[in-house]
Amino acid sequence: MATLIEDDVRTRAVVRPPGEAPRKRRRRLQTESSKPAGVGTYIAVIIAVGLFGVPFVWILLASIASPTQFSQGAEGLLDVSWDFSNYIEAVTRINFGAYTMNSIILSTISAVLSTATSALVGFAFARLRGKGQNFLFLIVVATMMIPSIVLLIPTYILFSRMGLVGTYWPWVLWGLAGLPYLIFLFRQFFTAIPLELEDAAIIDGCGWWRIFFTIFLPLAKPVILTSLLLSFTWTWGDYLAPALLLNYDNTTLAVATASGYLDPRGNGLPTIQAAGAVLYLLPVVIIFLFAQKQFMGSSVSSGVKG
Amino acid sequence: MTSTTLTPVAAAGDTRGRGWRRYRSRTFYLFASPWIVGFVLLTLAPITYAFVVSLTNFDGVSPIWRFIGFRNYVEIITSDPGAWASLIRTIVFTLIVVPLSVAGGLALALLVNRRIRARGVVRAIFFVPSVVPVVAVAIMWRLIFNRDAGLLNLIIGWFGADKVTWLADPYAFYALIIMTLWGLGGGMIISLAALQDVPVELEEAARIDGAGNWRVIRHITIPMISPVLYFQVITGIISTLQMLVQPLLLAETSSIAASSNVPQSSTLFMVEVYNEFFYNQRFGYGSAMLWIFFVFILLLTLGLQRLSKRFVFYQVAAGGDD
Repeated sequence: MATLIEDDVRTRAVVRPPGEAPRKRRRRLQTESSKPAGVGTYIAVIIAVGLFGVPFVWILLASIASPTQFSQGAEGLLDVSWDFSNYIEAVTRINFGAYTMNSIILSTISAVLSTATSALVGFAFARLRGKGQNFLFLIVVATMMIPSIVLLIPTYILFSRMGLVGTYWPWVLWGLAGLPYLIFLFRQFFTAIPLELEDAAIIDGCGWWRIFFTIFLPLAKPVILTSLLLSFTWTWGDYLAPALLLNYDNTTLAVATASGYLDPRGNGLPTIQAAGAVLYLLPVVIIFLFAQKQFMGSSVSSGVKG
Repeated sequence: MTSTTLTPVAAAGDTRGRGWRRYRSRTFYLFASPWIVGFVLLTLAPITYAFVVSLTNFDGVSPIWRFIGFRNYVEIITSDPGAWASLIRTIVFTLIVVPLSVAGGLALALLVNRRIRARGVVRAIFFVPSVVPVVAVAIMWRLIFNRDAGLLNLIIGWFGADKVTWLADPYAFYALIIMTLWGLGGGMIISLAALQDVPVELEEAARIDGAGNWRVIRHITIPMISPVLYFQVITGIISTLQMLVQPLLLAETSSIAASSNVPQSSTLFMVEVYNEFFYNQRFGYGSAMLWIFFVFILLLTLGLQRLSKRFVFYQVAAGGDD
């Protein structure tokens, strides 16, 4: 478990093009503080780990507590029995399987479409030339910064007038348009690929279309993976768009988890909701554990390139 | 953004004047067309539409509406104390959350950049909260903030304090701050990567000159990574100002129709806008609020961009990339 995260978060395969060698290890060793950490550091680490980890512990405790233990208050939660009936309730009380399926379908649509489009557009910005290209790229960067939530409400009104509310079309359209952040990611990657690769193909009479599909896309596998994982988890975790745009029966697990666990009188069922939330967030945590490099790398590249 | 960003490829591609040309605008536009069309239809169209709606008294349902000019804007600015209060609240919230999360992220980064045991696990624990979906985050924190079964009241009870209803006024504001700060691990990773790029020679030279830990951090480390910190401040401000989902989900009963249940102290500006749209059914008025906010954020971003030249140290030609 000690190597859960690579020591050097800079060696991110995510945006490192194939031609570029990984950064030298020597420098990392240099930049570390040379002394082993003292007691003070460990105390700080333990306190911080406690602060950041405690919500996870607490939700797990609540998810295995009976409603009576929960109503006894916090002391009751510290003394829970290992009772997994909340989990059974969580998947039976709402149509858990169907919502999960909806989330998977929607996230997959978004991930596949936005990755495909973003790769194509990123390629255009990196390797092709056109009038006004720099201005357009400025817009890509600007839309990464501009308020996205500000857009969602007018988009909702437009879509509802076009009769797209309650369907998955909005996600298809958003996917087909590509995501500015992913376009940026692909552009960074494609820009760094040596020109010679492309030259050889041009001499052989390849068109840009074939160059893209047969040379650049296969090289971009790590970025494609990152892009798929990120966009999948974004859609999986999104609340507002499905809450506004979908109906009760075809909405996602996010919305169902947030508002589906109520008793007939409309009161919340906190222990069952806790179990439901654990199940809902589990896939994200699992994806994260298997693909930390992609997650952290994308965080880093978004920051460093800014 | 000048053309220099694209020179490596452009330099080789100019074989103009003969029959064959490497680059044709047409090809570029063909490849970029999905995004261009998408930008026009899914970004420009909604924002333009919102502007048109903001000049009307449209209520979202009734087909009878008319243009009323800038009356919505005038009303917001001159006689809507709720909008002003929520805007000020949002600014205060941002001024608290952004510095704390950037500083906290930096502190954690400094911590996990040292040689400690199980460093990878520790980093993961700090980082994971920033990838947990917002719905799960809100459910977790509602359990912590729960009046009777919540951990926080249990802990403050140990110190003899009375129970606090965290998710109601006036404490909901602080609850929202705490929940937001929990996600600062994303910034930690960005700062950590920047820390690992600081040349160790500088820090060593300072130490030889007799600088202690704190002075090295203050005078060497922070200036060296200031572009990255600054980037976090800008993106942090933009995303915090438009926070909407977190207060909605943290409110006691959180179904989508219950937006008006958000306690006043955590009614940020976007929550106010949301209420105008979906609770008061004033689409025209809400759209005007959106536009005012949009312009506000745009101007703020430009202003911050200017300001950056004075505070941020940009290393000249450091690495090979970009």
